[in-house]
Amino acid sequence: MAGKTIQYTAAQIRDLGKENIPKELMGGHGLVYSSPATLAYNSPGAEGFGVKRAGLAVPESVMLIVSPGCCGRNTSIVSSMPQYKDRFFYLMMDETDLVTGRHLKRIPDAVCEVVSFLDGLKKKPKVVMICITCVDALLGTDMERVCSACERALGDGTRVRPCYMYALTREGRRPPMVHVRQTLYSLLEPMEKDPKSVNIIGNFAPVEDGELLRLLTDAGVKHIRQISTCGTYEEFLKMASANFNIVTNPEVRAAAHDMSQRLGIPYIELTRVHDVARTAAQYNAFSSAVGISIDISAEKAKAQEAVDTLKAEFPDLTFNIGECLNADPFELAMSLVRYGFKVDEIYATLAPEKFRYVSKLADISPDTKIFCNMEPTMLYYDMSASRAHISLGKDAAFYCPDIPNIAWNSDVQPFGFQGITKLMETIKETMKEARA
Amino acid sequence: MKGLRKVLTPFAPDQSGAVSVLYGLGGLIVIIDAGGCTGNICGFDEPRWQDVRSAVFSAGLRDMDAILGRDKLLVSKIADACGRIDASFVALIGTPVPATIATDYKALKRMLEKEIDLPILTVATDGMKLYDEGESLAYKALASEFIAKEGTLDEITLGKTPLTYGGSFADVSLEDYKKIGASTKVIAASASGIEAAKTLGLSYVVYSSAAAEIAGSIPSGKVLVCHDEVFGKTLRDKGVNCDIATFFTLHDEIKESGDVKITEEDEFTDLTVNGGYDVIVADECLKPLAEGFKGQWIDAPFFALSGRR
Repeated sequence: MAGKTIQYTAAQIRDLGKENIPKELMGGHGLVYSSPATLAYNSPGAEGFGVKRAGLAVPESVMLIVSPGCCGRNTSIVSSMPQYKDRFFYLMMDETDLVTGRHLKRIPDAVCEVVSFLDGLKKKPKVVMICITCVDALLGTDMERVCSACERALGDGTRVRPCYMYALTREGRRPPMVHVRQTLYSLLEPMEKDPKSVNIIGNFAPVEDGELLRLLTDAGVKHIRQISTCGTYEEFLKMASANFNIVTNPEVRAAAHDMSQRLGIPYIELTRVHDVARTAAQYNAFSSAVGISIDISAEKAKAQEAVDTLKAEFPDLTFNIGECLNADPFELAMSLVRYGFKVDEIYATLAPEKFRYVSKLADISPDTKIFCNMEPTMLYYDMSASRAHISLGKDAAFYCPDIPNIAWNSDVQPFGFQGITKLMETIKETMKEARA
Repeated sequence: MKGLRKVLTPFAPDQSGAVSVLYGLGGLIVIIDAGGCTGNICGFDEPRWQDVRSAVFSAGLRDMDAILGRDKLLVSKIADACGRIDASFVALIGTPVPATIATDYKALKRMLEKEIDLPILTVATDGMKLYDEGESLAYKALASEFIAKEGTLDEITLGKTPLTYGGSFADVSLEDYKKIGASTKVIAASASGIEAAKTLGLSYVVYSSAAAEIAGSIPSGKVLVCHDEVFGKTLRDKGVNCDIATFFTLHDEIKESGDVKITEEDEFTDLTVNGGYDVIVADECLKPLAEGFKGQWIDAPFFALSGRR
């Protein structure tokens, strides 16, 4: 029926079962609505750390984007950031390139010209990432070979690596954001292990300074490396000396596996959750697994206090939650409801692996409504039926412009009790301001 | 090196231009891409997206859809959406993916016409050309389906889209286009406006109100205008002693001695160094290419170049 937004309650989804999640909630089956969330994550080069920014996570690297002009268009948003000045370059394809593939022969010359140009600015790079797009995915371009040709043409040890911005493969076995992480860490070469060295891998901005880093330091770890905190390429290469990797984002799992096989660095995963008890259980499991002793009592108490304070001040607080935020929206919704708050609406694509959260959410909040950002009928979404007081997630602000919003999507990643505490305090302050 | 950009980011592509013309006309716009092109268009090149919800969708193509040429699946997705979205027409916008797999737009149109009782517009953009060409193609598609000589219309401005004029775009409705053949005055505000008027066989005047507004503030001397050709032509008509350089279409009817179409960064640099100009009127994003220029720079924002509103 035209004009009606498709939605399901958590209870309806639970009753349908994991195998029968409505296709309208899963996306990938129809046309994709241009919501803020889909524009951000459906485009590997768009907001946050898409392929373009991610590909430049290695210090002293630059990127040559070899593509039709349209693929590089929105890079001007990123290029305007000071840290990306003189780091993006473009070799634009035309229709003849598409038919003949002649652009591939020009790439080594283009790379040499870019490196020479940067040398003149005293900014000679250590790594050149060559970013290619859907067109070359369909042409079946062998980028490893092209990159080797570039390295030979440069002849000075500068590394050249491929970076695949293939939106076509977003739901494939190796989506762009998985692949780019593998590419970055493939630059590491085997080196002697340092038992007091640990990497935190997964994101392209650092984990928020504080809790996790303190716990590792207290446990005797001397060097905690994250790709985003390495100031130089040489420092980045020292990530190969780590005793183990802490994986904080499932999209880096394949890269962690590669590092385990190639560099002998084992890894352990830590998931960001918003339930105080589950966070504590995860830290305990972590300390047992890696054989270190950690004291989390102070952080745990602080997080619980932040939850209790918010609950005391705003006992009936009701949320709408989007998916452009540093959290899993379904897990966050479940945690908030467990704390005694209400979640009226969630705007997020429901992948089967999230079903467990929705099922648990349905038991305690059966009427929570779930919408899919990709669903075409979101064009007609009207917030007037919602009774939420506040929305979480940058995309939720688009749907709920008349209530306070916390974007909660900073590059720096909140984590653990510290993340819970900060979120609760931010909600409290935002609601106080709104009330005033 | 030809096609190598070391300073500028790519300009607005043809697919953005096509959407720019069709946005807000009440159609269901389907960008035949995997999602990235739609992200570029709605998330960057279409400022109205922030303020006005419009039925712009990505086809959500995946690798096997393209490799196997699943046109029937695409038709089925569009037909399904048309059952749930009110629209006055369907527009298919091409991107590099259909260009690579040589999508047959005529066949797609015929297939859709069998499933959907709405006019189907196809715009064979490919993401490798520039926005003004996409705008021209979109006008052509509109002309093929809608434009007649019915009703009355005093005046209509063509080619005044956000990509050329930012927030000062002309708000033209589908009803206006339907009556364009009866309009008493057609204003071509940019290169695509000229193309549209020609396609429709209408007489037109070339005029940019944005250029006219700043004409009086431009100092005397030899001036280089790097913008859309109509912007430059209007300045010239207002008495500014200028040459026009444009990265976009330069029609013979506009071009005079000294005017030039440019493609590469170096060509613009060469003009600024060796052209003997006292004043440059252009978007500030071009300034890094003119480090040797000692004259006065007058900023003329051009969204298709810089993305500045």
